[in-house]
Amino acid sequence: MELTITGANAITFPHLHIWDWRVASYLFLGGLTGGLMSMSAITNLRAGKAIPHERHCCWPIPIISPLLLSLGMFFLFLDLELKQHMYWFYLTFQPTSPMSWGAWILVLIYPPMILYSLAAIPPPVAEKMAPGLLKSLSEKLRAHLLGIARVNFVGGILLSIYTGILLSTFLARPLWNSAILPVVFLVSGMSTGTALLIIMARQNEVKLFLTKVDIWLIFTEILVLLLFFYGHYSSDAANQAAIMPFMNVSHQYFPYFVSVVFLGIILPLAIAMKFMEVTADHSKSITPMGKFLMNTSAVLVLVGGLVVRFVMVYAGQLSSFTGLLK
Amino acid sequence: MSFSRRSFLKYAALSAGGTLLAETPFMGAKARAQAEGGKARYVPTTCEMCFWKCGVVAKVVDGKVVKLEGNPLHPQSLGKLCGRGQAGIGLLYDKDRLKVPMIRTGARGENRYKQASWDEALNYVAEKLTTIKGKYGAESIALFAHGSPGTYFANVVRALGSANISYPSFSQCLGARNVAWELTFGEAPQSTCERVDMANSRVIVLFGTHLGENMHNSQNQEFAQAVANGARIVVVDPRFSTAAGKASTWMPIKPGTDLALLLTWINLVITNGWYDKDYVNNYTNGFDKLAAEVKHYTPEWAARETELPEHDIVEVARALGRNAPNVMVHPGRHFSWHGNDTQRGRAMAILNALLGTWGRPGGIWLSPKGKLAKLTEHPAYPEPKRDSVVFGDYPFAGGEGLTNVVRETTISGDPYPIKAWIVTGTNLLKTMPNQEKTRKAIDKLDLLVSIDVMPTDTVMMADVILPECSYLERHDGLFGIETREAGVAIRQPVIEPLYQSKPAWWIGSQLCRALKLDDYAVKGTWEERMRREAKLWNIDYQELADKGYLSIPGSAAPYFTADNPPTFKTKSKKIELYSAELEDESFAPIPKYQAIEQPPAGQYRLLYGRSQVHTFSRTVNNQWLWELFKENQVWLNAKEAARLGLKDLALVRLVNQDGINSEPVRVKVTERIRPDCVYMVHGFGQHSPAMTRAYNRGADDQHLISKYKIDPICGTTGMRVNFVKIVKEA
Amino acid sequence: MPKYVMVIDQSRCVGCMACVVACKRENDVPPEQFRTRVLEMVKGEFPFLRSELRPELCNHCDHAPCVNVCPTGASHKEADGTVQIDRSRCVGCKACIAACPYNARYINEEHGFADKCTFCQQRLKVGLKPACVATCIGGSRIFGDISDPKSEVRRLIEDNSHRVLLESAGTEPNVYYINRYPKKLS
Ligand SMILES: Nc1nc2c(c(=O)[nH]1)N[C@H]1C(S)=C(S)[C@@H](COP(=O)(O)OP(=O)(O)OC[C@H]3O[C@@H](n4cnc5c(=O)[nH]c(N)nc54)[C@H](O)[C@@H]3O)O[C@H]1N2
Ligand SMILES: Nc1nc2c(c(=O)[nH]1)N[C@H]1C(S)=C(S)[C@@H](COP(=O)(O)OP(=O)(O)OC[C@H]3O[C@@H](n4cnc5c(=O)[nH]c(N)nc54)[C@H](O)[C@@H]3O)O[C@H]1N2
Ligand code: SF4
Ligand code: SF4
Ligand code: SF4
Ligand code: SF4
Ligand code: SF4
Ligand SMILES: [Mo]
Repeated sequence: MELTITGANAITFPHLHIWDWRVASYLFLGGLTGGLMSMSAITNLRAGKAIPHERHCCWPIPIISPLLLSLGMFFLFLDLELKQHMYWFYLTFQPTSPMSWGAWILVLIYPPMILYSLAAIPPPVAEKMAPGLLKSLSEKLRAHLLGIARVNFVGGILLSIYTGILLSTFLARPLWNSAILPVVFLVSGMSTGTALLIIMARQNEVKLFLTKVDIWLIFTEILVLLLFFYGHYSSDAANQAAIMPFMNVSHQYFPYFVSVVFLGIILPLAIAMKFMEVTADHSKSITPMGKFLMNTSAVLVLVGGLVVRFVMVYAGQLSSFTGLLK
Repeated sequence: MSFSRRSFLKYAALSAGGTLLAETPFMGAKARAQAEGGKARYVPTTCEMCFWKCGVVAKVVDGKVVKLEGNPLHPQSLGKLCGRGQAGIGLLYDKDRLKVPMIRTGARGENRYKQASWDEALNYVAEKLTTIKGKYGAESIALFAHGSPGTYFANVVRALGSANISYPSFSQCLGARNVAWELTFGEAPQSTCERVDMANSRVIVLFGTHLGENMHNSQNQEFAQAVANGARIVVVDPRFSTAAGKASTWMPIKPGTDLALLLTWINLVITNGWYDKDYVNNYTNGFDKLAAEVKHYTPEWAARETELPEHDIVEVARALGRNAPNVMVHPGRHFSWHGNDTQRGRAMAILNALLGTWGRPGGIWLSPKGKLAKLTEHPAYPEPKRDSVVFGDYPFAGGEGLTNVVRETTISGDPYPIKAWIVTGTNLLKTMPNQEKTRKAIDKLDLLVSIDVMPTDTVMMADVILPECSYLERHDGLFGIETREAGVAIRQPVIEPLYQSKPAWWIGSQLCRALKLDDYAVKGTWEERMRREAKLWNIDYQELADKGYLSIPGSAAPYFTADNPPTFKTKSKKIELYSAELEDESFAPIPKYQAIEQPPAGQYRLLYGRSQVHTFSRTVNNQWLWELFKENQVWLNAKEAARLGLKDLALVRLVNQDGINSEPVRVKVTERIRPDCVYMVHGFGQHSPAMTRAYNRGADDQHLISKYKIDPICGTTGMRVNFVKIVKEA
Repeated sequence: MPKYVMVIDQSRCVGCMACVVACKRENDVPPEQFRTRVLEMVKGEFPFLRSELRPELCNHCDHAPCVNVCPTGASHKEADGTVQIDRSRCVGCKACIAACPYNARYINEEHGFADKCTFCQQRLKVGLKPACVATCIGGSRIFGDISDPKSEVRRLIEDNSHRVLLESAGTEPNVYYINRYPKKLS
């Protein structure tokens, strides 16, 4: 068929062209923050059980989380075409709009995050703080750390999953319009959060524990990614077309193809590296090689998570129903 | 199916349900402004984005023209404007417009000019013209014009004592068609528009005539109506045009063999008795000779010659015969194709005559009754001392004259030198075949004056450039409009001229004064003259200015009826199937088929046509049209493209039979064209950098049309006779 | 309350693009941006070809995903059935653009708000037809109030087999297409 379109908008033809690195980074950072919240909460909740009874295993994390989330929101803000109308997000609630939910979730998530970061400050550090409101607050909240951690655990999951729901509700973009996408983003968010924790944690036991957890997360991530693709592959023409960029070696789609190859290598590699360390003899302290394996695999996971967000955001914009309109 | 005249009228008035205001006829500019609360001002005027002369209603808010609409009262627009008409604002506010008078300081074509005041520029032109007239005689001053500015400069040139005035609309456009129909019916098939009654037609055959791309407004409205009526559309075109997309039969004819098809149809219609016998008996002469002459044009032969299915050839002839006289073989418009064009036109006219379409519903309607008197306010023009050259040696050349002969004379100086060209409303380098000759002729000139709106390629060759204001900023006309009815339309300024641009009437008048030809200058303003003209015609000027168009009641008489019996303006007062006039000049009195030269292997015939959103080269820089169609492409048959290893949008050059290279251009790989020809939209490949949007976009078809074949009957230039090969661009 | 719809008789469309230009001038749409477009689709192999001309614009969906996703309520459905954008509320998040399966929206490059066909609301208010309809050379675009049983649009929809684009998307469009191809007689 010969198709000539007169009057096409560059941002929608030949494919959608609206969201770039800003939105992808926002989604990545959102997922990452969610992962950090949930997984650092776990380290607290599991303290004394799976890991040594040391609640302040990596206390700066809860402080970093709101910063990372704010950076993500800053990227999102950068993407808005009419920044001066931003306030409208908070003068209304639109129940059918995931983005409106998102705006409010973000607001709801900051308080527990901040409470968490105060509660998690370990006594030795708190003692060094200048006296004042923060110090006394931190001391008061410490007693409720477990409760706050539980709230953060749930909040982190919500945040992670939200970043996937945001895209998956776009019926018009077949690649995104998959019920599995939120799970992909959830698992990926959790595993990137874990990865960052692994890098930052100073206690080797914590590192090792998280590495074990991450094996399962990555394994699940690979599984849901496969399900995600199979879901499209087994579906209608538009869905099949949507995953085409990932299977196509032609010049135009090369980055997508590469991303599949890349993920196909680094995720199993990360598992393998973790496995090597986890199954090693830990009767003595962890060797430098063990640290190297854990940290490197964590970096791979972070990069993998970033790649997933970027390719999903970009490839989703390549997919549409207009092909069927012919 | 309904073929009543009513259906057309109903359509024209556009009645939809509900309370939408647009259904009520245009109440006039003042009333509309009032009805809407007076924030906007409305000014009715006439479009000049092409030559269809549609009625426009311009909307002005805070001194800015914000929207143009079709005038519902005007029969050429019927309330609508085509895309080009809608984009008139793009011309008005084009930052690249000519803004001030300019005098050349560098070499020709070097683009070095100095700004001048109007006085300075006009005196300069007047001085030069006077010198040239003194040295070579007044006839050495020639005018090339197209569209409305021509009138005012024809006045100057005639007042100087020259009749060397030519318009490309004859020799590069419809000359041969008009001559053919004049020879046959005594009259051209066009008044203000082609007089085709498509809304009431059952079968419409289009040769070329790519409606949908050829975007003449009301004609396309009627074409769409015909399609909706269920009229059978037959399109004879080597290319699958937009119109072909509406057709029930597309006949991808081998280019240049149309006459074979037409003569065969004539034969079929006669031998099968499908012609209108009473009509033929009563109103035509030469039938028997015709019947004898066309006998040997059989469908089998035509199928071979035209490469069309024999079945289609017979079947369409039958459909025409069955539905006659409510059918038409559309006379076409751009007609200078292959150099044998008058005879092709004759065959079309003859076929129409046999089917009895002239003066019949669904055929060719008759021009309205009554002619508007001519207002002359200047002394008679001096008789040129030497005959004009504009008709060359072509016995049937007429109309607006032969641009090509004036050019030829300029080069040769024979029978006398031509030393000054005044050029207005035409982009000669793009419009006339063989640019080399145009350049050569320009080299011979002592003076080239250009009156234009845009810095086009031709304008940038001029010694003096005089900026006309756009059609939205000036008085022009009044225009006598002849459609089914007669009427009068107005062009009046919507806003005052921007920059230092001036209306053509003013430039022409001032030039007369500078030349001391004050008697030929307009008395007062052009508007005052328009009022006098209105008075002469018994028309209320105020009402015209408010409504934009006024019809002349009782003028319509589209069909032959008892009160309107057939008369023909030929010598014999009959439709001349056999043309004694042609015979007298030793041309075939009945068209004879002669095969034309075909491209050698590896080359393609170069065809060209229109984009629906551009007018030739005049709109290529218009923001609102440019963005829709930025550059042309070369249409190439998909199988040929595969053979040449060319992908869609590959960059190539075309090289013609004379070794001339085109600009780099992209290939459109398509099933929509025959394998033996390529096609481009005309008007692209602007070389003037001052046209910032259009500059170097696409390729110039005219550049490749170095060869042209002159029709021996009327001197028009067949331009589809060039062959090109395709060379991949590195 | 009227309910506005557009009926597009594709067989009448002559591909002139008058609608595209008229829409832009009427609604001050920035350079190289469009609220409506015309698709020309030619199928087949030489010389057996068939062409479809299809003008497209916002469908003013009854079940409009663009409205659903809008976080600020800027995109909304009005009582006359049209889908409109309140420019003062729009943050330019582009969610609505991603949500529209018809690619009917764009960001106005001069002002930043999301934009699309409004059915020329400003013209409807003063009793005029939309600009594209008023100038449609082919008479292909027909506009009116479907709730009025006497309206031309109602009659056209009732008398003709019609379709909407991407019906399966469940958006319930209010732009109806009739006569996809011109009648072929023989
Ligand atoms: N949009 C737009 N509309 C215009 C104009 C414009 O500039 N822009 N210009 C106006 C003017 S002044 C004119 S004269 C008309 C011109 O428009 P038309 O009178 O319609 O021009 P044609 O040359 O008849 O038609 C061009 C078609 O002829 C086909 N063709 C080429 N060679 C042959 C052949 O040998 N045989 C047959 N049967 N067909 C052939 C081409 O493929 C092409 O589709 O358009 C008018 N309308
Ligand atoms: N190769 C090739 N040659 C062709 C044709 C083709 O299809 N192919 N078509 C032929 C046909 S059918 C025709 S009718 C002719 C048309 O030939 P032209 O009429 O010469 O065509 P344009 O290229 O439109 O040039 C018009 C000029 O008028 C200027 N102009 C526009 N508006 C105004 C105005 O209001 N005032 C003044 N003073 N100037 C104005 C423009 O800037 C431009 O310079 O070309 C013929 N030549
Ligand atoms: S056909 Fe179009 S460009 Fe020509 S006069 Fe009419 S509206 Fe203007
Ligand atoms: S066509 Fe698109 S923009 Fe228009 S209402 Fe439907 S979803 Fe919204
Ligand atoms: S871009 Fe504007 S209209 Fe669209 S969803 Fe965002 S806020 Fe709503
Ligand atoms: S209805 Fe108005 S806004 Fe919509 S496409 Fe037509 S002209 Fe444009
Ligand atoms: S104005 Fe009408 S006929 Fe022309 S392209 Fe648009 S819909 Fe088709
Ligand atoms: Mo022409």
